[in-house]
Amino acid sequence: MKRLRLGSGFLLGSALVLLAAPTRAQECLDCHGQPGSTVSFKDGSSKDITIDAEAWAASVHGSMGATCTDCHTEHKEYPHPELKAGSAREYTLSHYTSCEPCHDEQFKKQLDGVHIKAIAGSHKNAAVCSDCHNPHAQKKITGEDGKLLPEGRVGIPQTCARCHREIQVKYRESVHGQALVDGNPDVPTCIDCHGVHDIPDPRTTAFRLASPRMCADCHTDAKKMAKYKLSTQVLRTYVADFHGSTVTLFQRRHPDQVTNKPVCYDCHGIHDIASKSDPKKSLQVKANLLQTCQKCHPDATANFSDAWLSHYIPTRERTPLVYWSRLAYQILIPGVVGGMALFVASDFLRRRLDRRRHLERRHRGETA
Amino acid sequence: MSDETTFELPRTYDRFSASDRVQHAVMVISFLVLTVTGLPQKYIYLNNRYLDDLIDLLGGIEGVRVVHRYAATVLMLATVYHLLAAAHRVLVRRVSLSMLPRYQDVVDALQAVRYNLGLAKERPRTDRYTWEEKVEYWSLLWGTVVMIGTGFMLWNPIATARFLPGEFIPAAQVVHGGEALLAILAVLVWHFYSVHLRSFNRAMFTGQMTEHEMEHEHPLELARIKAGEATRAIDPVALARRRKIFLPVAGVVAALLLAGIYWFVTLEQTAITTLPR
Repeated sequence: MKRLRLGSGFLLGSALVLLAAPTRAQECLDCHGQPGSTVSFKDGSSKDITIDAEAWAASVHGSMGATCTDCHTEHKEYPHPELKAGSAREYTLSHYTSCEPCHDEQFKKQLDGVHIKAIAGSHKNAAVCSDCHNPHAQKKITGEDGKLLPEGRVGIPQTCARCHREIQVKYRESVHGQALVDGNPDVPTCIDCHGVHDIPDPRTTAFRLASPRMCADCHTDAKKMAKYKLSTQVLRTYVADFHGSTVTLFQRRHPDQVTNKPVCYDCHGIHDIASKSDPKKSLQVKANLLQTCQKCHPDATANFSDAWLSHYIPTRERTPLVYWSRLAYQILIPGVVGGMALFVASDFLRRRLDRRRHLERRHRGETA
Repeated sequence: MSDETTFELPRTYDRFSASDRVQHAVMVISFLVLTVTGLPQKYIYLNNRYLDDLIDLLGGIEGVRVVHRYAATVLMLATVYHLLAAAHRVLVRRVSLSMLPRYQDVVDALQAVRYNLGLAKERPRTDRYTWEEKVEYWSLLWGTVVMIGTGFMLWNPIATARFLPGEFIPAAQVVHGGEALLAILAVLVWHFYSVHLRSFNRAMFTGQMTEHEMEHEHPLELARIKAGEATRAIDPVALARRRKIFLPVAGVVAALLLAGIYWFVTLEQTAITTLPR
């Protein structure tokens, strides 16, 4: 009976696209290829154990010749041993270590991630490998160079949205998210700011202090910014100002030092980052900027927000006062100090000459 | 006359009073503290390890800012004292206005330059304050006014923006940093050369100058002293009368200026806090 099923399974499998696939997967698919198979756990939860043979064959694992028991080591025998896990989630959590032997690097990284810490706490639903990468259907998302393929990047927000739905909705409407939806792979997705596998807790001070560098990675890249006619001076102007200088100082010296100084996202938004020309949310609207100022400077009035030059390098037209002040001291300092130094040098040399002449005269007087 | 009565000790001349010397010492200390706490703030964007170390050594950036403000307060108090003391000298004791710039100073400066270049036969013969000292004194006074004005804007940006366009605040930052650098470099080049390197002038510490030093640096003043013209007899009655008017007026002015400083330093603190409240 078993033999017969195996044989027909093999034929069925071949009829699908699995000519190159090893027989072991076919053996399993005999049962697990049947739609609607589920397994129930003690706590009443259940798990769909149907494997879509087509998806498996097209997946990176299936197409590279991985077999089911590479991961499901305890299921080599049939009938399978009784499941030890008490719930569907417990089963998933007890199996995510099966990724380690092949994906050692990623596995080690995720051990430092925020999700695994959440699981260690009480949030058992926090993501493990298989929650983001369905091992039975995951396509190859990296190219030959190990970098993410464009089609891989475009899909990232949906993956995160499986849990972080509200954030994805915000992101989708942001200037970055809209572009990504339009198929533009230039813009950052979740992982460009939050990292991948070793995702840090974004609520920490260290994350806050490091955030300007994240934005700057792209926003100081002349090649990327030229394409969208965006300024690459945003970091420089931020760091030159009071707030940015403190934030970057803390970041390089005391990454755990709490600060009230604004970082990029305090003004530009976190996930709902708008274009600077967005009429609805634009920072160019003074009231918006003033509100941001007032968070820390509660008595600030209308003029106050102009103290921040909105990332513009001071020019004669836009900010003449700053421009002329700077120019005045650029001339005054070398002019005055240089003039002083010239006089001091001439005085020093002249006095040395005078002294030498004096000594010579005395010497002649003595010998004469 | 016997030999004993004509015997003369090497004579010294009074140059700076105790009040002058204390003012100088207070100013030196506050200037140094302002420099040490100001430069790392000005150059924070350079990511320089040593400047960062200095900031940590001084108690972090907030500590640096607090110390800078204390030193600034000391300098402002010293400035108020100096102005009142100068007013007392001029209005009550009616001393000659020897620190005021005159046309002769320009002539002296040009002659000094020409002498150094070998175009004049001798150095200018200078009076109580040389043109070099006047350059320094008036630069310091002007610089202090600029630093107090721009310092106010940086310390109290909310109040500033109530009366002036917001752009004044980043402009104040530029001017405050530029003027600071100018002052520090001027002290290093001008002051250090003229009173430390050329010959070490101890008058600001001892209050005295020797005859030899006077001959070299203030020959005209020395000549006037010797001719008995330097000190005018003061009518004690007139002095007492002037003092009676000066003291209450100066008291009111001092009270107003001190109230101004108190207002200046307590008005706003939001430009300094780095910790969320």
